[in-house]
Amino acid sequence: MPKHIVRLILLIVAFGVAVVSARNFLVDKSFYEYGHYRGNAVAEIARDKPKYQGTTYCQSCHAAQFAEWSKGVHDRTDIGKVVKCEVCHGPGGGRDPQQGYINASTGPIHPDNLKLAVPTDTRALCTLCHEQMPGRPLQQAQIVIEDHAGAQQCTLCHNPHSPRMIFGSLAAPAHPGNAAAGRDKIDMCASCHGAEGISAGLPGPTLAGQNEAYLVEALKAYKAGKRSNPMMTAMAANVNDGDIENIAAYFASLKCKRTVNAADQAALARKAGASVCTNCHGANGISTDGMAPNLIGQSKDYLANALKAYASGTRSNVVMFALTKGMSDVDAEKLAAYYASSSCK
Amino acid sequence: MDPLFAAAPFTGYVYPNETVFPWGVLIVVYPYLTGLVAGAFTVSSLYQVFGLKQLRPVAHFALVTSLCCMIVVPVPLLLHLGQPERAFNAVFTPHWSSAMAMFGYFAGFYIILLIIETWFVFRPYMVQQAQSRKDLLGRLYHVMCLGSYDLSDKAMRYDQKWIFALAILGIPGAHGLHGNVGFLFGSLKSREWWSSDLMPVIFLFSAIISGVALLIVLYVLSCKLRRVAVDIPCVKGMGYTLWGFMMFTLLLELVEFGSLLYKGREGIDMIMEFISTKLVVPFFVLQLSIGAVTAILILSFLFWRHITGRALVAGIMLSALLTLFSVLMMRFNVVIGGQEISKTGKGLLTFPWEIFGRDGILAAGSVLIAPLLLLLVMVRILPPWQDSPAAASH
Amino acid sequence: MDEKEQFGEGQAARRSFLGCLGTAVVGGAAAVAASAMLSNETRAAAVDAPPVPAIPGYDWSKHHWAFGVDATKCIGCLRCVEACKAENEVAPDAHHFRTWVERYVYLEGEDSARVDSQADPVNIEASGSEGKYRFANRYKDAKVDKAFFVPKLCNHCTHPACVQVCPTGATFKTDDGVVVIDHTYCIGCQYCVQACPYGARFFNEALKVTEKCTWCYHRITKGLLPACVEVCPVGARIFGDRNDKQSPISEFIKNNRVEVLKPETGNAPNVFYVGIDKEVS
Repeated sequence: MPKHIVRLILLIVAFGVAVVSARNFLVDKSFYEYGHYRGNAVAEIARDKPKYQGTTYCQSCHAAQFAEWSKGVHDRTDIGKVVKCEVCHGPGGGRDPQQGYINASTGPIHPDNLKLAVPTDTRALCTLCHEQMPGRPLQQAQIVIEDHAGAQQCTLCHNPHSPRMIFGSLAAPAHPGNAAAGRDKIDMCASCHGAEGISAGLPGPTLAGQNEAYLVEALKAYKAGKRSNPMMTAMAANVNDGDIENIAAYFASLKCKRTVNAADQAALARKAGASVCTNCHGANGISTDGMAPNLIGQSKDYLANALKAYASGTRSNVVMFALTKGMSDVDAEKLAAYYASSSCK
Repeated sequence: MDPLFAAAPFTGYVYPNETVFPWGVLIVVYPYLTGLVAGAFTVSSLYQVFGLKQLRPVAHFALVTSLCCMIVVPVPLLLHLGQPERAFNAVFTPHWSSAMAMFGYFAGFYIILLIIETWFVFRPYMVQQAQSRKDLLGRLYHVMCLGSYDLSDKAMRYDQKWIFALAILGIPGAHGLHGNVGFLFGSLKSREWWSSDLMPVIFLFSAIISGVALLIVLYVLSCKLRRVAVDIPCVKGMGYTLWGFMMFTLLLELVEFGSLLYKGREGIDMIMEFISTKLVVPFFVLQLSIGAVTAILILSFLFWRHITGRALVAGIMLSALLTLFSVLMMRFNVVIGGQEISKTGKGLLTFPWEIFGRDGILAAGSVLIAPLLLLLVMVRILPPWQDSPAAASH
Repeated sequence: MDEKEQFGEGQAARRSFLGCLGTAVVGGAAAVAASAMLSNETRAAAVDAPPVPAIPGYDWSKHHWAFGVDATKCIGCLRCVEACKAENEVAPDAHHFRTWVERYVYLEGEDSARVDSQADPVNIEASGSEGKYRFANRYKDAKVDKAFFVPKLCNHCTHPACVQVCPTGATFKTDDGVVVIDHTYCIGCQYCVQACPYGARFFNEALKVTEKCTWCYHRITKGLLPACVEVCPVGARIFGDRNDKQSPISEFIKNNRVEVLKPETGNAPNVFYVGIDKEVS
């Protein structure tokens, strides 16, 4: 065979040998261990540190918040609706995704050097799930935030850890009043509210058995000018805070025995469509919630006026404003008639 | 800092990740180059294997052109890779089910074959140069000869056998390489626009016409530059080759296009919208009308009227240029067009053109010009001219 | 030189040519196969049980992971999308997602759905940032016939098209049924991005490799749930081990008539859907 062809063939062989040995040198030893891939890659991928730590991790330091949450509607494992801590607060481990790439196994962990977010714009946060939107399943609680809360933040009324519990938790007044001491201060009240707190035709509303916290807040609101009524503004102006609590305690201690024509009331309830009211004020006007007043024993006129005042904004309360906004006078009268159908004896 | 990617605007609904095009203009250039490789090699084989003697003036030139294009083929791929330094992973641990892994082997096999065949073809010239020159270039020729100056009859007979064997082996080699590129697109079931059994065949035929067209253009240009008369029978032979293969190509493309529309599978509404809006200019106007149909009409007219002389050369040259353009547009319409139709079948994307950057027009243009520059150097080292004595003396 | 001798020499030349070519070109492939077989054999002989990757406290041969999506429960809050981005450090922009949520809305009198995802410019404007996600209430005043949300993610197919086309073996299916990417071996050709019919893969421009959902392989091998499942407030995402007949996913598949996306591709996905519609693909 000619020399040049022998040399060419030797060159090809040398090239082949070089390629094969380069391959043997460069290919990872764990390649083909489990299949056509680098076997060590599996454990490497599994090695990354998890960022979402789970509720138990949060509980270890934030037991109180955890307890609140685990009793509330944001932890309903029975119906599969569980809003875990890290859904709103972000992951307990790892970092803000805005900060770019870093080795996942060396990222910081809360609490050492990572602060978790406490969301402040709850209007934006809560509506991620609760904004009324086509496509959301009907069983999901949904609101139109402008109608529901005006411009207020959700946390004004709701405890985000347990959204249904907030009214109860605010119920107990800071300084429980002395009912006996309050009894001496009510001379002026009795002329309109009745000595036993039952107005029964007098100009003021029934106060017997009313929620203490509500009464304290009402008196303080009159005194501070947040709620306005010519008579009450004048009266409250001269009462000190201690007396307010005592007076409230006194009226709260009085008994209001319910009298009602059940058949009449059921008919009225249907007409009024009062289901939304009963969440806080109860089906018969006895409040289920510390901050919402009892409606039992109030006159129809008083209740109707209150509804109209809330609707027009002259009496200010976020929830009542949201619920009464746009309510017609006729509806207000119907609703008032329904709650006026239970009275105190 | 420059953004790392260009996001494509879209209409309708596209998957969120689709707004970044995985493949850009570099991947348009890549099948174009492999096509030129296969096409140019076909011309050389037509002479070496199939005995089309009138192609003798361009036979060696075709081989060198094919080699120059082939050397540049990996460049757009490497430029496009996220991790070019790991490219050998595909060769060292090739995943045999992947058309892309096969590319490494097709390309590796073919480029070695091409180098060896070129070496055999130019061995007499290299020996003669090595013996006559004493300068640095002479040394280079000496190394390239592998130190053997054997030009005996026996050696030449060996060489001829090798050349013949390599030329035969090169036909499946070159067309395997380019057919594999067609398969790479045609085998993807995720894209209706690509997913076609005809894709490799269309790629092959369009490759042949682009290679023949490139040789026509380069040969005529080289004659002008070298002040040599153009060999009319040779150009006419290539013109006939171009004409015949072009008709097949056009037919295949229309069959493929028609069957896509006729089958009318899921997402056809979006494809129809695509065809009637975005595709009008690049496909119907540029690729089909101006490129393919005009070129066929010119060639048909030339051969029907038996035109010859300068007019024939000019006409064939023009249709070759149009063909080159048409095939480039075809690659564009396949690669970019396929990605402009969303996998959702509910939306269309618009390719975000980039000028600078790794996947920009400048980079792609440079890659397209690179084989020509390489060729300019190569023809000085290995002159492939085989002009007939009459022409040379002209 | 006579005819015979020439012939003989030609034959010899051809033989040696073939022999050498065999060594050079085929030799590489043969060496690959041989070394693969050898290494497997030696390993198999050394221990009785087949070897498993060294993941502490985890044996992949005991698990067969699968994912469920109950689209009837999804409220489109996109906590899953943000959690995934945080957990996996996905680029915080509107073009790279390991998981996403689609919204399908049929308006009155329209035959086909209007579809958008959190990456739609309108929704990005509503969230105020490309790294935060919320669905804009764009249909609140429209007459909507039917609307629903569909979470999407990598389907971890039984016959993954992406793995089929990967030239290097950088992406592969683990024995416990998860398709993952070896970021140190990926060459970044993005052929897999093209091959995935579901748009689940994308190119990570920072790492210059392809990226996708791993079902949080680093979590599930530690007994945790994938981040998106962990944070879903309504239980629309279900994950578990099909080897365990009591696992949530086994129950989900048993108790529902589940569907998969684009079954015609033959990919055989392992994300099972309930409550999707004709236009979801």
